[in-house]
Amino acid sequence: MLTRLKGGRIYDPENGVDGEVRDLYIRNGRIVDAPADPGEAKETIDISGRVVMAGAIDIHTHIGGGKVNIGRMMLPEDHAGDLVAANRHPHLGCGHAAPSTRTAGYRYAEMGYVACFEPAMLAGNARQAHMELADTPMVDKGAYVLLGNDDFMLRAIAARRDPEYLRDYVAWTLRAAQALAIKVVNPGGINAFKFNQRKLDLDEKNTGYGITPRQILTTLADSVRALGLAHPLHVHGCNLGVPGNVETTLETIRSLEGLRAHLTHVQFHSYGTEGDHKFSSGAARIAEAVNKATNVSIDVGQIMFGRTITESGDTMRQFAGSAYADPKKWVGMDIECEAGCGVVPFRYKNRNFVNALQWAIGLEMFLLVDDPWRIYLTTDHPNGAPFTSYPHLIRLLMDRSFRRDMLATLNPDAQAATTLASIDREYSLYEIAIMTRAAPARSLGLTGFGSLAPGARAHVTVYKDQSNREKMFAKPEYVFKDGRLIVRNGRVVTDVHGATHVVHPEYDGAIERDLETYFSRHMTVRKDNLRVADDEIRDDGRGELVVHPTRRGS
Amino acid sequence: MSFTTVSKGSSAKSAPSPAACPFCALLCDDLALRPQADSTFTVARNGCRRATAAYARAPLAPQALVAGREVGLEQAIEAAARLLKRARQPLFGGLATDVDGVRASVNLAERCGAILDHVHGDALASTSRMLQARGWYATTLSEVRNRADLVVVIDVDFDARYESFKRRCLEPRPARGSAPGKGREVVFIGAGKRAPEAAGASTTIACRSENLVEVLLALLASLRSHSLAARRPGGANSGALAALAERMRAAHYTALVFAPAALAEHREPAIAAIGDLVDELNRTTRAALLALGGDDGGQSAVNTCAWLTGFPLRVGCGQTLHYEPQAFATRALLDSGAVDTLLWIDAFGEQAAPPPGAPLEQTVMLASTRPSTAAQCGVFIPVGTPGVDHFARLVRTDSVVTLALQQQRDSGLPSVAGVLTRILEKF
Repeated sequence: MLTRLKGGRIYDPENGVDGEVRDLYIRNGRIVDAPADPGEAKETIDISGRVVMAGAIDIHTHIGGGKVNIGRMMLPEDHAGDLVAANRHPHLGCGHAAPSTRTAGYRYAEMGYVACFEPAMLAGNARQAHMELADTPMVDKGAYVLLGNDDFMLRAIAARRDPEYLRDYVAWTLRAAQALAIKVVNPGGINAFKFNQRKLDLDEKNTGYGITPRQILTTLADSVRALGLAHPLHVHGCNLGVPGNVETTLETIRSLEGLRAHLTHVQFHSYGTEGDHKFSSGAARIAEAVNKATNVSIDVGQIMFGRTITESGDTMRQFAGSAYADPKKWVGMDIECEAGCGVVPFRYKNRNFVNALQWAIGLEMFLLVDDPWRIYLTTDHPNGAPFTSYPHLIRLLMDRSFRRDMLATLNPDAQAATTLASIDREYSLYEIAIMTRAAPARSLGLTGFGSLAPGARAHVTVYKDQSNREKMFAKPEYVFKDGRLIVRNGRVVTDVHGATHVVHPEYDGAIERDLETYFSRHMTVRKDNLRVADDEIRDDGRGELVVHPTRRGS
Repeated sequence: MSFTTVSKGSSAKSAPSPAACPFCALLCDDLALRPQADSTFTVARNGCRRATAAYARAPLAPQALVAGREVGLEQAIEAAARLLKRARQPLFGGLATDVDGVRASVNLAERCGAILDHVHGDALASTSRMLQARGWYATTLSEVRNRADLVVVIDVDFDARYESFKRRCLEPRPARGSAPGKGREVVFIGAGKRAPEAAGASTTIACRSENLVEVLLALLASLRSHSLAARRPGGANSGALAALAERMRAAHYTALVFAPAALAEHREPAIAAIGDLVDELNRTTRAALLALGGDDGGQSAVNTCAWLTGFPLRVGCGQTLHYEPQAFATRALLDSGAVDTLLWIDAFGEQAAPPPGAPLEQTVMLASTRPSTAAQCGVFIPVGTPGVDHFARLVRTDSVVTLALQQQRDSGLPSVAGVLTRILEKF
């Protein structure tokens, strides 16, 4: 059936379309060319005056896996005020900062999102992560698997194994865990914490293996390049949250020597030590470096004021942060000679100097990085704030008087310590469409996403153009996924399941023999049982597996 | 549903892959099973007493009952749907099943307004409550095996439960600790003559189980260098406690291992004390706790329920979800008459009999063994054992590793998920 969306204002940066009024046609789940006779359309929806964008993509959101589930279990107080009534969504659920899987999926769809990516899956926990993602309805999904704190890799780097061997291991891990990309968290630092190291700078040696975060970073970034993954190495750097870490982050960018990398939640890595509080904004310096380093993309990890929970693989930094837990409880874990996790409830307060400045640093970053193709909109859900605060964040970026009004309510010392009031930039709808659609689709290699050109998957969001951008982006009038109307006026009308996006690069079988020996000698699960089979994702037709090409085949 | 794992470059030809065992939360995945003529298995390698006994059970005949009368599966499913539709307040108890069984249970519970609890709900709920009250620093099986140079076993009798933990996590030499290749020391605190030996402990601090919390708090005081007023706190030797505290401070990585279900009524203060010990050690060195528990699918039930609903177990479905970790205990609900209908699930064969006081005529029982009360139940439907009669996914004791267990025999028995999904289709 041919559907015509008539008269909308199209923002489709992937194809250079900036606010042009034209009709969109959908057939069999795809955008198609306009027919010679518009009367061919069986259904016409008049969206005159409405703003039209492709479906949105969240490139970094903690929505599935062990640490997310610990967060859900430990925070009934988070859920009590946010219970989903039986007639609100197709299924019951709850949660503000730590929502149930189904509630997360429905809420994402209601905001116009069609794909979400879990950025910190452990190979040992991959099966559970995928089961949680399978139970996250509406959106397509995928996950980045953690490497660089696992004993196998650190031992191989310490033994100076050749790069090809490490690439095979990276490829094997991607395949075993059914991942789309590689993430490194505090390179070597999670492992070092198991050896009782409490901090690890970029050039400091892990006492267990005598290797540095710099070595781990460059090894992984090179492996990702050699395997030809679309998404560059996804980096959560050293020294998260530590005043002065702006130097670490700048040095991290230099350490890449032109290799591509995505630096995630960079707001948490942009702190100086100036001023009475010995805590200052490093956003301008980071933004300047990012503007120059075209091999680097970032997402911000904006914080918002209120209660949330921080869920991270970074045990070393979460252990330090646990002193500020609110309420006073937290969970840490050392995990399977592979990684770790720390789950710390937290409350960002606008009268607190540090929190207020964190808020300003995130916004400075958004406004000082010139190229919206290399900066993506995130709150590092739920670490900076729940993903449901995205519409508010968009308003802050698009409306400088609103931004200044909000700034005026903050801790006065923090107001004095930020240049935010002097920044006039306002994001345009075109730029918002870049950072929430076209750019993340490109970065992840999601063909057919983030585009409204004929041939693209018909993921379409239609917004009523309102001067209050928060209201506008909170409640799209129409959301189509693969051509089906799934949301009408901000309410789910069709319950659908999304696909899982992965890569399957080839690797030399020799790595399997070494892993077989390693697993049988050290691990408490057999190597082949770690591997998540394709049919587990497909799950008798309930799920769908989309394997994206790499240089090493698919 | 059956999935096969592809093992590239495997040299094995006819030898079947080692099986993963569903019968406790350790999920040992290195068992060699030998199929017998009567559809049972002997465990040729890496078994334990519990696994050996469980694998020796023959599958039930696939014969459903409605009020004791033999009927076909379809009739039983219709009868179950009728019973659940009529229910004023149903309870889905037992819940001893795999992840897919829990998913189907939650879906059906939403339709019938049911409350969900597990047969080990008491231990699971108080573990969840301690997670919500204080949290903790935890570890996993492979970390204990490779990193812990000191393991303190707190009143776990490995003769009675988790027998293979010793083989898999205590006996191998630690490999990744700060002193790799050196042996590890195992210390036992608790009761029982044979339990220290079953743990392979070189040091024992004997105390009665009911004094355990007092002993743990005395150990904590020693660790904090407080002088102890009592010479024998909780009946334990204070000198031995001081020596253990010293040893823990000097260790690179101490694992404190306990089993919540075995801690009885002292469970919550004991978990708090163990958490405090770990926190105290982590100020200067490294330590973590490991809780062994969640058998009979308990760990799968808690985790799956948490991701689907946001709450660990003891959640009820109505206009919204209701989380009542104490009021929704099976025992309390049955004693008070708050529930009129019971769906009792035991796919592992260890907990088939519904608890005393269950409204049997208003009970739908899904079980892989047939208790004497089966014929008195409103509906009895035999089901397969996860990972034996059908493919299954189960969550391990540490809530990290989730295994896919392959089907081992063709019994024709349906899975819990299969039966519940068909019941839901009748709504």
